[in-house]
Amino acid sequence: MLIVKDLSVERINKKIFENINLSLTPGNITILKGKNGSGKTTLLKTMLNIIEPSAGSIFWKGKLLKRNFYDFYNHTTYIADTTSSLKKLTVKDNVNIWRKFFISNINDAQIEMALKTLKLDNYLNKKVATLSFGETKKLEFLRLIIENKKVWILDEPLSNLDEDSIELMKQTFEDHSSKEGSIIFSSHQNPGIYVTEEIEL
Amino acid sequence: MNFLNKIIFFYYREYKLNMSGAQDILTNIIFFFVSIFIFIFSIGPDKQTISIIGVGILWTLLLLSSTLSLRKFYQDDFENGNLIIMHLNGLSFGFIAILKTFSHFIFVQIPFLLSIPIACILLNIANDKLFYLFASFGIGSLILSCLGSISSSMNLMNQRNFLLGSVIIMIFSVPIIIFSVGIINMEESFNSLINILFGILLIVFAINPWASGLCLKLSLENN
Repeated sequence: MLIVKDLSVERINKKIFENINLSLTPGNITILKGKNGSGKTTLLKTMLNIIEPSAGSIFWKGKLLKRNFYDFYNHTTYIADTTSSLKKLTVKDNVNIWRKFFISNINDAQIEMALKTLKLDNYLNKKVATLSFGETKKLEFLRLIIENKKVWILDEPLSNLDEDSIELMKQTFEDHSSKEGSIIFSSHQNPGIYVTEEIEL
Repeated sequence: MNFLNKIIFFYYREYKLNMSGAQDILTNIIFFFVSIFIFIFSIGPDKQTISIIGVGILWTLLLLSSTLSLRKFYQDDFENGNLIIMHLNGLSFGFIAILKTFSHFIFVQIPFLLSIPIACILLNIANDKLFYLFASFGIGSLILSCLGSISSSMNLMNQRNFLLGSVIIMIFSVPIIIFSVGIINMEESFNSLINILFGILLIVFAINPWASGLCLKLSLENN
């Protein structure tokens, strides 16, 4: 369980946000709402121990995250607002690299099914550079299945997605939540997804 | 075992990436040979002169050519968020720097190493010097990869001026050039000079993980 207590971040003497409190418990879906530049990505990166907070603390399983972050990483998948898939390579290559790099225990049939659900099965041998932004974004979500971890930290996961894909994400979120997983995601719009906690930045 | 697998598949990923961008490696090699031709044409057809300054030319061009590839050292992984993903997969920034340094050595420097015999023919460098050239370049290029890692990670914090990193590399490369060229021209001092070169390698190899690791961390923090 992740607990964020009185977290503040300052950059070049400018307050990005202050006194943020939240907790990620099993089954929890938290949304970070705010306009562009309100500090949503900064908060997510601070929770990942990438950015140093100016005040406050983050705890993972009762210990300070700073001293326990590799254990936290073992349970966490992070999807950034940029696409991490390698554009020079094909969809198949990217999937294979992720599966090997994350030492995934997901089998071929499950991957095939996920690709079909995401409507990416026809693009397997196409280079990622030729996919549209929405398709690249969906490919990114495949990492959630490949990594198969409990905590999902997602930065603007719903931007540039069509209605069908948003609906699919809703179901995926609910499914993950029902399996005791926890999700925190940022959004500058109202996605219409059932959430257990809402934080306005 | 998991950790070892992560390292193996890190290199599998690097292999795939470098093979899909093989034209970049080829461009570097072409730049290297075209520059050699330009030197030869500008010096003139005197074999004796080319032979004397050949080793110096070779080292200067190897340095310039490997500097060309530095822009991509961390840039792509930094921009697409793969540095964070690697870190979240249990690799510290310092360790990522070590892995990337070896990747640069394998996929950028070794093709140069393999093209040295052809360059030696063009520059009229005697065959018996080939062993010394390989020995000095083997160690020297790994030093250049370590320095490249440090300067490229520094460049992530200074996106506006790529040349600054290259200038830093050039300055720190001076001792490597001195000892590497010295090895070939003073064969009797081979052991002592190669030991000095090896010493420099150990120093930069020790500095590289924490200097590059810190720069990577800071650049991600400030991104």
